[in-house]
Amino acid sequence: MNQQPFLRIFTAPATLCAVGFVAAMVAVLQYSLRAYVPGSLDPGGFTLANFADLLKPLYARVFLDTVVVCAMTAVVTLIVGYPLAYALVRVEQPILRSILLVIVVTPLFLGEVVRTYAWIIVLGNNGFINSLLMSLGLIGKPLQLMFTPFGVVVALVHVTLPVMVIMLAAGLSHIDRDYSRAAESLGAGPIRVFLTVTLPLSLPGVVAGTTTAFAWTFSAFATPQLIGGGRVNMISNLVYQLGFSSFNFPFAATLCVAGLALTALVLGLLQLASRPLRKIEVH
Amino acid sequence: MKPSASAEGEQTAVHFDAVTKRFDDVVALSAVTLGVGRGEFVTLLGPSGCGKTTLLKLAGGFLGPDGGSISIEGKRVNDIPTYQRGIGMMFQNYALFPHMSVAENVAYGLKTRRVPRVERDKRVADALALVKLKGMENRKPRQLSGGQQQRVALARALVINPTVLLLDEPFSALDKSLRTSMQVELREIQRKLGLTTIFVTHDQGEALSMSDRVAVMSEGRIRQLGSPVDVYRSPADPFVASFVGDNNRLRGQLVSVHAKQAIVALGDALVNVPGESLSGLEKSAAVDLYVRPEQFSIVAPEEPCAIKGSVVAQIYQGGHVDLQIECSGGTGDRLLVRSPGEQAVLRWPMGAPVGIAIQADRCSVFPVG
Ligand SMILES: Nc1ncnc2c1ncn2[C@@H]1O[C@H](COP(=O)(O)OP(=O)(O)OP(=O)(O)O)[C@@H](O)[C@H]1O
Ligand SMILES: [Mg+2]
Repeated sequence: MNQQPFLRIFTAPATLCAVGFVAAMVAVLQYSLRAYVPGSLDPGGFTLANFADLLKPLYARVFLDTVVVCAMTAVVTLIVGYPLAYALVRVEQPILRSILLVIVVTPLFLGEVVRTYAWIIVLGNNGFINSLLMSLGLIGKPLQLMFTPFGVVVALVHVTLPVMVIMLAAGLSHIDRDYSRAAESLGAGPIRVFLTVTLPLSLPGVVAGTTTAFAWTFSAFATPQLIGGGRVNMISNLVYQLGFSSFNFPFAATLCVAGLALTALVLGLLQLASRPLRKIEVH
Repeated sequence: MKPSASAEGEQTAVHFDAVTKRFDDVVALSAVTLGVGRGEFVTLLGPSGCGKTTLLKLAGGFLGPDGGSISIEGKRVNDIPTYQRGIGMMFQNYALFPHMSVAENVAYGLKTRRVPRVERDKRVADALALVKLKGMENRKPRQLSGGQQQRVALARALVINPTVLLLDEPFSALDKSLRTSMQVELREIQRKLGLTTIFVTHDQGEALSMSDRVAVMSEGRIRQLGSPVDVYRSPADPFVASFVGDNNRLRGQLVSVHAKQAIVALGDALVNVPGESLSGLEKSAAVDLYVRPEQFSIVAPEEPCAIKGSVVAQIYQGGHVDLQIECSGGTGDRLLVRSPGEQAVLRWPMGAPVGIAIQADRCSVFPVG
């Protein structure tokens, strides 16, 4: 009966984690259905009022902003990441390759807070960009880069880039070089080969990368907190404010549940839209 | 069989002149010279790693040579990129574009050449008819069998009227019967269109049955270039003798050489062999005889024969029987003997003592070492 004797032992740690995760989710879910009792840390009775509150313009606005920031980040990361991933896969000189790899992977080891702090130094009123532009005489007074959606997106792109590049490179490296050789033999120059063969065949990787980038930024906290400075709010920041400044745990939980549902919805839609692509099998 | 049209200027479609290619410290090709005549079917045959694919890639422009020059239709193409060479290439794994239909795959090379829509559709239809794939236009490659994918790849390469068709082990993924029928079909189409073709294989049967000429390669060199009959009957060196077709090697001692004839001692027996390759060799030098399995005949042990032994294996092959004979004398040497028909199965049962006579006038002899 037990054909794989090690299966249980090997899956035990994963099962344990899964149980803990499910317990936490259930706790959040049940908090989201409780009433908020001002001045108390304990929730009140069951209610759906929290979910109705989500529709208030103040909160709906944050959801919309989050989706917009995530979408912009995903798109910009894709545009920046694709050439990097392409070069990473195609460049043949070992030295160039290593340099690329370092550029792409190092940010992963720095953590979100450190990277975000670096961007504060770059984007601030006395930061690198403004100092440079002013000393060149291109602008008279500093550009407002901090505390803007632009600044948040720029920093989030940096945070998301490694994941995007790794996923795109994985997709690209699975495309057999014989496809582009075949196209060349049929008279296609480099640009045509890229547009008609490499790019279409890499679309599954593009979808995977974009989806992951989107989900990855959806839960961003430190970056919008530090660079948005309260003026660009994403869901995590709202959860933090409500949960840890106002101690409104039930509504914070409701925001979590709604955020999760929204992520699932967006990812589901992306998957659905990209279904035709899955038929492209790349050996 | 076409007369060899190599190096005759305008008749030559593809010419490799002293082409050398190195990968780091591996010499993949050393000074290879080869001319392929217009409309000729030349096969590159050799063991794995001998440089066949490298030579084909050089012709296609997927690699550049380190030395020597390559010309197509009399024009030096060393520095011309693949997409301007007008070649047709068929890849071992087909490399059909998975995101395009059969018709789109075949039309690809016509689109890059800006062939107008109407003419394009007609040529695609003609090419698909040629490879017997009418009605499959809208399928995707993954909806085709291996043999059908093969045909699409062929149609895609043919439709652009390439100056030369390059094929890298195109049939190695097919099962035997499909492979045989594809071989016949490819050859028919090639003849009909008069296509200059360079074909790569490590299957010597395929090489012998399809080619006008075969280039036998080993370690980055062409060891022999000739018609299939030449290569099989008169191998240029021991490598070709043992690589092309089945062969038995017998060690002997030279007794005498007279111009075209030589006498070699095999144990106690003396055999007359062709002597061209032995001139200048000292008496009693060691020589190797290469004898094809069909150049042996089995006789009763008491009859006059060169070698004695006993049957250790019978391999019934339908049209003929292959017998393995272990030579007496305790050396354990085994010979492969091919006997037409099927009488041999009953006539020479397992363990039977036999004598082997050699039709030595057609065997090949090379000095040892
Ligand atoms: N890109 C490369 N880098 C380094 N060495 C290579 C490369 N391509 C081929 N070689 C080497 O060059 C030699 C010839 O290779 P090639 O692919 O031409 O062999 P082949 O005759 O086609 O063999 P097979 O029958 O296995 O396909 C081999 O020793 C191989 O290891
Ligand atoms: Mg090869």
